[in-house]
Amino acid sequence: MGEFKSVGKNVTRVDIRAKVTGRAKYAGDIDMPGMVYGKIIRCLEHAHAKVKSIDFSEAKKMPGVLKTLGPEDVTSKTYNQSVIDLMASAQEAEWMGDIEEQNIFTKHVKFYGDGIGAIIAETEEQAERAAAKVKVEYEALPVYLTPEQSSAPDAIQFVESKPGNRAFQLPAEMFPNNCLGWGDVDEAFKEADVVVEDRFYTPKQKQCQMEPNNYIALYDDEGRLNCWSSCQMPKLAHVKLARLFEMPMSRVKFNQTVVGGGFGARLGLVMEPEVCALALAVPGRPVKLLQPREEDWLSSPSRHPSDYWMKMGFKKDGTPVAIDAISKNFKGGYYLDGSALASTTGFWLQGMYKVENLRYRGESYFTNQPVCGAYRGYGNPQTNFVLEQLVDRACNELNVDPLEWRKKWHKTVGDNSWIGFTQYSSCALDECLDKGAEAIGWKEKRAKYANQTGVKRRGIGLSVGQHTSGAAPMILEHTTCTVRLNEDASAELLLACSDLGQGSHTTLRQIAAESLGFPIDDVHLDVGDSDANGFDIGAHASRTLYVGGNAVKQACEDARRQLFERAAKKLEANADDLDINDEKEIFVKGSPNKSISAKEICEVGVYNFVNHLTGERNGEIGQIQSYVSYMPDHNSPPFFCTFVEVEVDMETGEVKVLELVSAHDIGRAIHPAICEGQMEGGAQQGLGMALTEEIYFDANGKVKNNSFTDYKMLGSSDMPKMTNILVENPDPYGPFGAKSVGEAGLVTPVGAVANAIYQATGIQFTQGPITPEKILKAIREKAAAA
Amino acid sequence: MNKLAVNLNVNGRNYDLSVASNKTLLEVLRDQLDLPDTKYGCGTGECGACTVLIDGQVVNSCLTLAATADGKAITTAIGLEKDGQLHPVQEAFVEETAVQCGYCIPGMVIKTVGLLEQSPEPNEAEIRHWLEGNICRCTGYEKIVAAVKSASKKMTNAGVKAVG
Repeated sequence: MGEFKSVGKNVTRVDIRAKVTGRAKYAGDIDMPGMVYGKIIRCLEHAHAKVKSIDFSEAKKMPGVLKTLGPEDVTSKTYNQSVIDLMASAQEAEWMGDIEEQNIFTKHVKFYGDGIGAIIAETEEQAERAAAKVKVEYEALPVYLTPEQSSAPDAIQFVESKPGNRAFQLPAEMFPNNCLGWGDVDEAFKEADVVVEDRFYTPKQKQCQMEPNNYIALYDDEGRLNCWSSCQMPKLAHVKLARLFEMPMSRVKFNQTVVGGGFGARLGLVMEPEVCALALAVPGRPVKLLQPREEDWLSSPSRHPSDYWMKMGFKKDGTPVAIDAISKNFKGGYYLDGSALASTTGFWLQGMYKVENLRYRGESYFTNQPVCGAYRGYGNPQTNFVLEQLVDRACNELNVDPLEWRKKWHKTVGDNSWIGFTQYSSCALDECLDKGAEAIGWKEKRAKYANQTGVKRRGIGLSVGQHTSGAAPMILEHTTCTVRLNEDASAELLLACSDLGQGSHTTLRQIAAESLGFPIDDVHLDVGDSDANGFDIGAHASRTLYVGGNAVKQACEDARRQLFERAAKKLEANADDLDINDEKEIFVKGSPNKSISAKEICEVGVYNFVNHLTGERNGEIGQIQSYVSYMPDHNSPPFFCTFVEVEVDMETGEVKVLELVSAHDIGRAIHPAICEGQMEGGAQQGLGMALTEEIYFDANGKVKNNSFTDYKMLGSSDMPKMTNILVENPDPYGPFGAKSVGEAGLVTPVGAVANAIYQATGIQFTQGPITPEKILKAIREKAAAA
Repeated sequence: MNKLAVNLNVNGRNYDLSVASNKTLLEVLRDQLDLPDTKYGCGTGECGACTVLIDGQVVNSCLTLAATADGKAITTAIGLEKDGQLHPVQEAFVEETAVQCGYCIPGMVIKTVGLLEQSPEPNEAEIRHWLEGNICRCTGYEKIVAAVKSASKKMTNAGVKAVG
């Protein structure tokens, strides 16, 4: 991009030197004088039980123990650890039925690993040894692991306000008949020539961010509660903690440490309430809470598993006439974002194809499983697994090429977007499909693999998707940004946007430098400090570059305007006629000799003196600062596709993913290597969701694989040859035309690999993940039936 | 817990320590020597975030009792940087943008140094096989593999040994 100085360049990531040397400080790496350690006591005997009594007497006698805490020793105020409820208006939150039903330590255990108390001791080992001495008496309750079980008439109610343990259904006040969509689906199916229908299961997938959720909290001498955490959404965590502990926000300080991956796992609060409760129990002593991997697995939210039924109807010529769908989410033990996830799963469905009639019902049911919350894609991968497989089944019956069908029927510019009442502002999906198809050799391979008979059979599959850039106008979108020009004309930006590792602090800096006209090294981002930073939603909904980027752009453009206006007076020129060069000399376009340095203007603004002879000041006073409080109206959805080639061993059921090609309509690549990184990492998680990743339970609700040994992710040797194509088609609303890429990379590999297996084996797999066991079983059943 | 006198040479510096016999090398590095560059990811040798070199060999420090490293030389990621100059492997990770959240990276960098020490010009299959014990959830391994290749080329061209 020749027109830009910083945008579009693979500049060195701002955080990378600290990360390759290991100097980057994650929460667990911080030590403080006088620090003590917390240990949470978790119920590992039952997935559903009443706590009858807790006996701390032996634990208290253990060396180094400072405090023991049970449910009665902390605030009885309840909360909801998700932050989604903060982003809806009071009216909508009431309609959606959002609740706050969680206690810091519970007396009603709802899942295996639920927290019931804590120990504070001088060392980590002492805290652990004391925790082992705590005696708890439980009354075991029936365990419900599916919506069917928990919604049975005689099931114990998790929350009184949610009869039948139905945590959520689309509210009739916002969605007539509790349905999303349009048209008359039942009538339309009568006219359909081809109908495809099936019931799917999408698995409970874990984010597996590499840094466990670790914390420090300190109730300090000023009476302020300080928390150090790698939360993705620090400002919303800040207000939630202030409300929970009934303190003004000015007495709560939230310090965001380096974030070791997120993917939704720390979207809202995870163990912040617990560590802050511990800190309040030992004023003046910093309390460190380190979570072993097995406990992190249980205590942080995962993807919602879903029981997802869908039916699609088509005319003979391929016209899609109707889609009907019901998604029932397994909520886990607590509500969290029960409303939003069940809604968006349907939004992604209604955003994809030009179908004449559509009806979607989304519901969530409590289950005795670790909580479910946000995970990269937020319902989109679930819909992709179901919708894209059914589209391929229909294409088979209609005898049309799945690529051509999608090119004809995907939504585009001007069509109603995923949210239903705004229109797509840009779409380059056709270009993505053409480039992707060419890169993988779609046409030749699709024909070549059509009729195979051997032991090793290949298949090629495709999937398309659309996502969002921020959550507007569905729910709140807001980022504030302050820019301050120092007296030497370097710039400080204060904002609370998070970098979970995706690189947003680098890309936001590029946008700032470009907008100011400054070299990138002269721009610094001051982030992660709730005292200094104004409001920001935090990292979710693929919003940071888009919403944060526009906030940064506006604030920096305003600072530059102020700078140019001062320069214009000195140069006796019009501010609109000015430009700035790499040396930060502001000059009159066409007359480069007529110039003044940005430094001179900034310095005079701060170091301003009165001439004692003339009584005049030596220039315009005041440090140049700009502030914006930015709320977008748009969400500029990115479109994208993935092609996958697999080889299936018909004797063992093993799937080898040979090649993956993704192409994303990202608007503008601010930092191409960072964009590719999102697509490459997304592919690892998307292929994992489709092929290997699921949290398993025994009949008593005990988690069987809360470790990297037993939970299989694709490793370096399992990953296919990858090609990731960036299609740049600037969007009218994105900063420099950019749209999101963060979550999108995970979505389409899910449907694409399932469709590749379909072509190779002639079998569709409705139950994710598609493991060798399931493939082998299906092959044998098919052979037996034949 | 029984305490043992242990001598460790960590990143070129000598430490005479009194170490509890149940403490892992990872715990001693992080808690006793204030070297948090080596990370805890699982504590059971599954993820490789805690990888260090002991006398040039890659080891999961979470599975190594500190006392068993008595008298040995240990290198961690922070020790690869010499006089403010990054190790060629670290440089390659920077240049290839092979880092996202960074939590696995100290272990990845050390693992790569271990690989290039024993096999200076590995092919792609060898690189991917070698990295199997180190989990990264951000990058899909694509740019990490590219960085290992680039580091290999850099060091071969310059005639530099991995463990300097």
